[in-house]
Amino acid sequence: MIYLYAIAEELAELPPVAGVAGAALERRAVDGLELVVSELDGAALEPTEETLLAHARVVDELVPRAGALLPARFGRGFGDEGALVDAVRGRAEALREALRLVRGRVELGVRVVAEGAEPAPEADSGRAYMEARLAQTAERERLAEEVHRPLERLARASTRTVAATPRLVVSGAYLLELDDVEAFRTRVAELQARHPDLAVACTGPWPAYSFAPGDDE
Amino acid sequence: MSAESKRPLEQQITLLELVDRVLNKGVVLTGDIMLSVADVDLVYVGLRVLLASVGTLEELQAEAAER
Repeated sequence: MIYLYAIAEELAELPPVAGVAGAALERRAVDGLELVVSELDGAALEPTEETLLAHARVVDELVPRAGALLPARFGRGFGDEGALVDAVRGRAEALREALRLVRGRVELGVRVVAEGAEPAPEADSGRAYMEARLAQTAERERLAEEVHRPLERLARASTRTVAATPRLVVSGAYLLELDDVEAFRTRVAELQARHPDLAVACTGPWPAYSFAPGDDE
Repeated sequence: MSAESKRPLEQQITLLELVDRVLNKGVVLTGDIMLSVADVDLVYVGLRVLLASVGTLEELQAEAAER
């Protein structure tokens, strides 16, 4: 099995770190794209702390060594060399487009978390309960937009999701020019000051995980 | 929220962000073989593993139980 870590352009050298299961990193070139892979025994890879961090570490180490880089999702393998080459060629256009987008830019994450889970609304009828729930949802959406809009304006691209867990209000990923990172953090701090009842956390810079072609296109 | 109670939350969020990215984002190519079942629930499985080391396991479990 061949395990994939990232697809890059202008990769200088491989980093001196091991891959998942301690395997040595290798590189393959397919139509001008650089693939970083390792051999993997067997057809299963559990998402443990060790394997997740091994994958993330390889990607982190590759970023400063590449002109542009797209991290691969954890836990994806290919039966043989031919299957990997075919898979890359089948997606080459989307990959090149994404590499152009992320080149020279970094991803920042923003998670906005409310202090406690919202209590289920108290209501004496099913209809009143539903209305109260809808009002909660609308309020979260409004809050999400209020946070996302000013951040989105500083970004080249962005994604966001709302209320995936009881506490989370909004989670966004923002692709930024390096020069804009400081202004972005300042804007996050302003949003935090404006919403003292929320925790507005800014993470990163991350490799551009959120701007790589996934399985939804 | 005080600055004191916020630090572990931010640590938690960084780990959540990392696991979410590695498991749910990143390039997917047609014809690849999924070596692990990486769905949204697994983010929390992975998180519990990671967070066990920073001592916020109970809180996460309680949160998962509410879902």
